[in-house]
Amino acid sequence: MRLYETGFLISPNVTEEEADILIQQMADIVTQKNGKMAKLEKWGKRRMAYQIGKFGEAYYVFFHYDGGPDIPLELGRRFRQMDTILRYLTLVKETQQNVRKKKKAVDRRRAKETAAGEPTEPAAEGGTPEPRKREEA
Amino acid sequence: MAREERSERGSYKKFFPPKKKFCRFCQRNVKFIDHKNVDILKKYIPDRGKISPRRITGTCAFHQRKLAEAIKRARLLALLPFVED
Repeated sequence: MRLYETGFLISPNVTEEEADILIQQMADIVTQKNGKMAKLEKWGKRRMAYQIGKFGEAYYVFFHYDGGPDIPLELGRRFRQMDTILRYLTLVKETQQNVRKKKKAVDRRRAKETAAGEPTEPAAEGGTPEPRKREEA
Repeated sequence: MAREERSERGSYKKFFPPKKKFCRFCQRNVKFIDHKNVDILKKYIPDRGKISPRRITGTCAFHQRKLAEAIKRARLLALLPFVED
């Protein structure tokens, strides 16, 4: 199971009710395939930064869902068949937090220093905990 | 002659050190830049619609990578322009 995000643009020559029906159909596909809809964003009609085809506006919809890889495939297949969908984009969301290694190391060292206590501050600055152990042995 | 003029014009720089740039994403401890958040992305694309380089904005390498990716995704969904004239 993975978190996916699919955004798509519905052409503006569709009425709002029709667009809603279409969105509902797509949402049903997600639930049919044992997916869990986490969030459904409807931005409504919005001006695009550039024209796609002959349209200057589009309905923006974003799905956030949790499920297997067959859901985005099926959605993509449907989108390609429909003329009313101008664009779509599916992303796999990163579940693990992408923290930089360097920063992580610095944070860890700082935490260690604070845990070791203030009295041995100069010693902690001089070397890593490992050589100190050797000295003790 | 021209060179002298230029050096005179630039001589102010000697007295005013350039303002230190910093990464605005690091400041807020941002880990993920969303391509749907157009208002933030717009600050990093000047009039022409190009992605502004790190040396101008001061963004760190990590966040510049994320930012460029987010801007490119936003362009695909027509949230941002590829070119603007």
